[in-house]
Amino acid sequence: MSKEILLDVQHLSHIFPLTKKAALKAVDDVSFEIRRGEIFGLVGESGCGKSTVARCIMNVYKPQSGRILYKGIDVCDAKEFGKNKRMLQTTRQMIFQDSDSSLNQRMKVCDIIAEPMKIQHMMPKRGSLRAEAEFQMYYVGLDAEYLDKYPGELSGGQRQRVAIARALAMEPELLVADEPIASLDVSIQAQIVNLFKHLQKEHGFSFLFIAHDLAMVAFLCDRVGVMYRGKLVEIAPTKELFADPRHHYTKALLSAIPVPDPRKERARRLIEFREEDFLCDGELIQEAPEHFVLGRRKKG
Amino acid sequence: MKNSFVQLIYFGKKFLFFLASVFLLSVAVFYISRLAPGDPLVSYYGDRVEKMSPEERGWVEEKLGLNDPIFVQYIRWLENAFHGDFGISYKYKMDVAEVIGARIGNTLILGGIGFLLIFGLALLLGVLCAWYEDRMLDRIICGIGTVTSCIPEFWLSLVLILIFAVNLKWLPSSGAYAIGEADRLGSRILHLILPMTVVVMGHLWYYAYMIRNKILEEVRADYVLLAKSKGLKKQSVMMRHCLRNVIPSYLSIMAISVPHILGGTYIVETVFSYPGIGTLSYESARYKDYNLLMLLCILSGIVVIFCNMAAQIINEKINPRMKSDAVTVPAEVTKV
Amino acid sequence: MRERFEMVGIRQMPKEEISSKEKWYHGKPVFAAAVLTIVIIGCLFCNLIMTKDPAYLDLENCNVPPCREFLFGTDTMGRDIFSMIWYGGRISLFIGIVATLISTVVAIIFGAVSGSAPKWADTLLMRLTDLLISVPGLLVIILLQAILGKASVLSLSFVIGITSWIAVAKVVRTEVLRLRGSEYVIASKCMGGGFFHVLWKHLTPNFISSIMFMIVMNIRSAIIAESTLSFMGIGLPVGVISWGSMLSLAEQALLTNAWWMIVIPGVFMLVTLLCITSIGNYMRKKVSRRQSNL
Repeated sequence: MSKEILLDVQHLSHIFPLTKKAALKAVDDVSFEIRRGEIFGLVGESGCGKSTVARCIMNVYKPQSGRILYKGIDVCDAKEFGKNKRMLQTTRQMIFQDSDSSLNQRMKVCDIIAEPMKIQHMMPKRGSLRAEAEFQMYYVGLDAEYLDKYPGELSGGQRQRVAIARALAMEPELLVADEPIASLDVSIQAQIVNLFKHLQKEHGFSFLFIAHDLAMVAFLCDRVGVMYRGKLVEIAPTKELFADPRHHYTKALLSAIPVPDPRKERARRLIEFREEDFLCDGELIQEAPEHFVLGRRKKG
Repeated sequence: MKNSFVQLIYFGKKFLFFLASVFLLSVAVFYISRLAPGDPLVSYYGDRVEKMSPEERGWVEEKLGLNDPIFVQYIRWLENAFHGDFGISYKYKMDVAEVIGARIGNTLILGGIGFLLIFGLALLLGVLCAWYEDRMLDRIICGIGTVTSCIPEFWLSLVLILIFAVNLKWLPSSGAYAIGEADRLGSRILHLILPMTVVVMGHLWYYAYMIRNKILEEVRADYVLLAKSKGLKKQSVMMRHCLRNVIPSYLSIMAISVPHILGGTYIVETVFSYPGIGTLSYESARYKDYNLLMLLCILSGIVVIFCNMAAQIINEKINPRMKSDAVTVPAEVTKV
Repeated sequence: MRERFEMVGIRQMPKEEISSKEKWYHGKPVFAAAVLTIVIIGCLFCNLIMTKDPAYLDLENCNVPPCREFLFGTDTMGRDIFSMIWYGGRISLFIGIVATLISTVVAIIFGAVSGSAPKWADTLLMRLTDLLISVPGLLVIILLQAILGKASVLSLSFVIGITSWIAVAKVVRTEVLRLRGSEYVIASKCMGGGFFHVLWKHLTPNFISSIMFMIVMNIRSAIIAESTLSFMGIGLPVGVISWGSMLSLAEQALLTNAWWMIVIPGVFMLVTLLCITSIGNYMRKKVSRRQSNL
């Protein structure tokens, strides 16, 4: 893992207007960075703004304020985006939560995988688009016999593999996966996470992995950010975060992980989930090397 | 108190939108009708136009105000219209309002009675079909419906004239009354039978079919099962529950269908030479009788916009989620 | 690769052969399709069927009732109706199809733009359609035709097509509103797919089935519109033979009680329209069945 920063999110905020008066602050002043070749996990309860962050990074939403620098390019700036459009669209790829709706039901698998190459008019390295699709399929562990099937004929795990193959077809440098395993069975989840780990080693892309399953994050990620109510409350390397959580919310969250040993599980003490404890303003303060916690800076 | 204020604003908004629509409509019709080539003087002077010298032409155009740029003409028209003066018809050389006033009654009778007949009969047939679903009667009615929905109205008129007027000589083929019998009700009714048949036939089956399907949709709903399991008779389930749920949406569909039925009467009127608004607007558009065309378009536009709004309001009352969503036109109503 | 992953929990179930007694044509409008095919082929290859030159004015044989020489009789200008029906059918069907093509393309583009535009633009466009509906269709057609000049087959198709897209456009808009938030659309946009790529590859295949029957019904409406307009003297002139212009001689036919001039072309047209309608109805049933199965 190098120290080069690939993606730098600075003070990102996004607001969804609900009515004329009310608005939802989905993401509130979030800053973090992802280094080249790193797997960065983003966890938090549902509705805390994880997906919104991902979609802002992928230019699906235009954030209200803040900057997102990808290789030093501000992707939220229409002018700069236009200049580097092709590079941005090819080297950043996204995987969605629900493979059922992220694949067009009326396209064959081979067309789905070849779609990004077709859009960008890329010359397929392996002769034809079909051969390219077949290669990617093999790469993610699917047989060539599925090439001419429709997504509806595949199982959830297979569909998610197709979605991964589509993303990898562009040989991305940054892969954003928005809860890619949330809609799968537990056994399939493990397969997909293993696949991610394997692919990341092979390809060396940077990976933003969004999940609410802490066990998976602990297994897969190098560094983890914890989000709560639109705020990033804690960032730390995975081991350190799980060993020494600093923020109240993180502590509560970690204490909720079930332990696979019944005796230990019975002895486990849940931290009471009291919302008023979860301090939600202030700024990220470095408390240890690479370990940042949201809080008020002590005076003096 | 607050509620009535909200309602007031709601209807105020609707009314403003209505006015804006009518205004835009008038601008559009005014421009398009003047862009279309054609000589309005022909309808004023008939064939004499060709013998006119250029000076005479210029003088006449000056008099009718046709020389000015279109927007000047429009502003003049708008100004006069606010005072209730819509100009004169070039062909009839009378005040436009008078020309229309003399004929609108005929169209209202044809269209209005036709509309009520369609409305009532369709409900009756729809309920009958739903009651006897997939049995003989239902199949026959649906079959007739499919066939008649394919018959062009003008052709049906021709065939009816051929049978009942030319061969059997039972009914008159044209006009609204026999010459000199304008005040006799019998004569008027006789003249109304054939056009009315066409108007009703052209639309009845489609709406009957729609009612049937809507009722059947309701019949398959869970609450009907509950009502049945409580021991209610089929009759009371159908009348008290299904029909009651269907009626509001039927009302809104009928409101949107007003323009289609209106458009249908236009064609029927021309075939039967029935002196109504339809023949009048056909003439005015073909022969560039600008003032007449304007008032006719605005009148029918007002009716249509008003009906659309009525439909929208009904729909919003039934289903508050539909608010601000445009009403959809019934899919396959033929539009000519 | 393969060895690293083992599929767990999938037990192969023996596939059961579903033996159905239903024939493939069950519930499909086979008869209508067959008749329609015959009509279309007959019209396309009318040269082989026609017994007379349809445009030839045989002034010695005006108003002849159906007989052996003139199978369906002749019209007031002495033309052979049997030949005219096949010959004119070409133009009527052509207008029906071209007008529908035009209206469908306009409807899809308008509906897609309106559905994917921001809310204010969407509202504006929808208000525009409301306004367009409020002008009587017949008057719009007369004025448009006057602007375009003398009616020809193409200009009439254009006028009919351009005045009949609104209903389809509204359905397209609702469908696009439903589909545009789908993740595959977002995914395609992220990959750099432009408006027309998304519209063509992702949206259209997903909503086409729900507008297909409307498109078929539009063919029917366009043929009816052509005949009505030609009959009223706004459409094709008597010289250009179509089912509508044949019927425009009906006024004279009524005077001489020449029923064959009205009934025969009309019935022919009616049969064609019925076939189209039953195919359209079949499509609608298929769509609604699929929706109710969800």
